[in-house]
Amino acid sequence: MSTITISNLRKLYGGVPAVDGFSLEIPESTVFGLLGPNGAGKTTTFKCMLDLARPSGGEIRYDGKPLVPETFERIAYVPERSVLYDWMTVNEHVEMTRRAFASFDPARAVELLGQFNVDPRKRARALSKGMRTAVMIAIAFARNATLLILDEPTSGLDPVNQRHVLSLMINEAAKGNSVIFSSHQIGQVERAAERIAVMDRGRLVLEGLVDDLKADRKIVEGIFPDVTFTLDGIANDARVARADRTERIVRLLVTAGADEIAARLSGAGAVGVRVLDLNLEDIFLYAVAPATATTDVVVKES
Amino acid sequence: MNYVEWLRVRNLLRLVAIILAILLVLAVVLRISVSRYMSPDVWVHQAMMHPGVKVTHVTLPDGTKRTIMDDPSQSTHAMIDDRGYGGSHIVITEPSSRAHKENSNVNVGSIHVIESQNGAMTTTVVDTNGAVPMIYYMLLADIVALIVATILAAPLAREIDGHLEITLTKPISRVRFALGIIGADVAGIIAASILTVLAFYICQLLFESPRLDFSGINARAIAMGLACPLAWYAMLCAATTWLHRSYGAVLGFAWPVAILVGVLSIISTNNVVALFVHDVAWTLSRLDPLSYVSFAEPDGHGLLTYSGSNFALRLSIQLFLFVAYGALAIWKWQRVEA
Repeated sequence: MSTITISNLRKLYGGVPAVDGFSLEIPESTVFGLLGPNGAGKTTTFKCMLDLARPSGGEIRYDGKPLVPETFERIAYVPERSVLYDWMTVNEHVEMTRRAFASFDPARAVELLGQFNVDPRKRARALSKGMRTAVMIAIAFARNATLLILDEPTSGLDPVNQRHVLSLMINEAAKGNSVIFSSHQIGQVERAAERIAVMDRGRLVLEGLVDDLKADRKIVEGIFPDVTFTLDGIANDARVARADRTERIVRLLVTAGADEIAARLSGAGAVGVRVLDLNLEDIFLYAVAPATATTDVVVKES
Repeated sequence: MNYVEWLRVRNLLRLVAIILAILLVLAVVLRISVSRYMSPDVWVHQAMMHPGVKVTHVTLPDGTKRTIMDDPSQSTHAMIDDRGYGGSHIVITEPSSRAHKENSNVNVGSIHVIESQNGAMTTTVVDTNGAVPMIYYMLLADIVALIVATILAAPLAREIDGHLEITLTKPISRVRFALGIIGADVAGIIAASILTVLAFYICQLLFESPRLDFSGINARAIAMGLACPLAWYAMLCAATTWLHRSYGAVLGFAWPVAILVGVLSIISTNNVVALFVHDVAWTLSRLDPLSYVSFAEPDGHGLLTYSGSNFALRLSIQLFLFVAYGALAIWKWQRVEA
C-alpha cells in the first residue's frame, strides 16, 4: 500500500455536510495523524475511505485505484467504539479474523493480547472498554496489513497501554506500512505522527509534517505601553496567520519570518517583544479554535 | 459460510438439542411407566375374568404369540398376534350393534384401524405397527424449524446493529457476505428440522419399531416442510433488514400479525366493513408464506391427502418468496452505511 488520495470528498447527512470538499494525499510508510475537534468529520472521513459510508461527492483512491473488496486484505481498521460481538469470546474473534484474512497471524494476535493482559477465553461482554479496544488493536496489528486506519485507538486505554499502542504504530511505519490515526490526545499525536492534517467542520484547515509545522510557526508577542496602539499593517502581512489582541498585548501567529515580524512590532512601539515556539497543541488550537487559543477575540486588522 | 452466523446457529442448535433431549428423557420415563400396558396380555387377562370366555394361546413358527378369545355370551371373537416390539395385529369380530355403525378406515400414526360391517357382524382389524407417514414428523419438524427461523431471521440487522465496521471491512463483497450469512441460517433451519425428526424417531423407537412412509403425500410434506420455514425466514430477514432499527419488534410481532392476518383472511361475512377487512387481510396474506401451506386430511380410504389444490404451484410460490425476499434483504444490505 502506498499513497492514498482523497479528492474533494463530500459527505452529507440529511443535507448537512459532515465532510465538505476534503482533499488530502497520504504518503506511504508514514504515521499520519488526523486531528480535529468533535464533529470535525474525522470518523466520517475514515468511513468514506473504507466504503462504510458512501461519499456524496469526490473520490478516494488507493495507489490510484478505487477501493474494491480485495483491498481490505491489506487494510486493518479499528473504529472508535467497540464493534466486538458481546456474546463471542476473544478467541472466537481471533478465529473469525483468521478465517476472513489470509495474512492474519493468530499467534501474533495472542501474543499482543497477552501484552495487553487480555484473557482470550473471556467473552467480549465481560471486558472493560479499554480491554475491548485492546482486543481490536491486537487483532488489527496481527493482520499484517500494509495500511492501518485507527480511529482514536488509545481511547479507554491506561497510560501504559497507550504508550504500547504508540510503539506498535511507530513499528508498523518502520516496517514500511502506513498508519493513519485520529486522536484527541495531541501529545500522543505529536509523539507518534510524522505528518498531520487538521480538520474543522468537514474541511482541511492544516496539513503538513509535524516538524515543519512546528519549525515554521511561531508566536510573536508584543506588549505596548497603552491600549491605543496600531500595528501599522503588520497583521496584514501574508506571513501573519492570525493576530490576537488583548488590551496592551498582541499575539501574532506567524508562519515564517518570525524575527523580522518581531522587529517590525518593536518599530511599531512595542516595549517588549518575544518570539515563542509552538507545540502541536498550540498549532491545533490556532487552526480550529483561535479564541480558545488566546482566550480572546481575534481582531484581524482591516 | 459466515463464521459469526454459524456460531449463532450452532448456539441455537445446541439449545434445540437440549430441549429435544429433555423431551427424549420424558419419553423414556413415559415408556418405563407404560411398559406393563403395552402388552395385549393386560386386557386379555381382564377379558378372561368374564365368565364363559375361552382363551387359547399359541406360539407361531415366527415367534408370534397368538391369543384367541371367544366370548359366546357376547358373540365376540378376538385374535391377537403379539409380535412384541414389532407391534400387534388384532382382529375382533363382534355384533354390529356394539361396534361402530359404519365402515371406517383410520390411520393415526403407526396405528391403522379398518372396520368393516358384514351383515349383523362387524370385523375390526387393528395394526399397531404400520408405516408412519412422514407428514407427522414434518409437522413437528416444521414447528421447530419455524421457531428457529424466526429467531435467526435478523442476521443482517444484527450486523447493522453495531458490527458493520467488522463485517464490511472484510475482503469479500457485500453480496457474498450476505449469501454466506443466509446460507448459514438456511443450514441451521434444515438442521433443526432434521434434529427434530431424529428426536421423534428415537422417541418412537422407544415404543415400537417404526417404519417411515415416504410415499405419495409424504414426499410433498417433506418438500413443503423445508420450503415453508425457509420462505418465512426470508420474509422476516427482508423485514428486519429494512426495519433494522426495530428488528426485535419485527420478530416479536411476526407471529401475532401473521396469525391475525391469516384469521381475518378466512372470515366470511356479509358485513361490508368486515368484508373490506377480509379483502385487505387476504391480499396481505398473499405475501405470507404460511398462507400457502396446505393442510393434510384423511380421504375416504384413511389415506392423507392435501386439502389445498395445486401443490406444485404452492411449493413454487414458497420457493419464489424465499428467493424474492432474500433478494430484497440483500438489495437493502448493499446500501447500508455505518
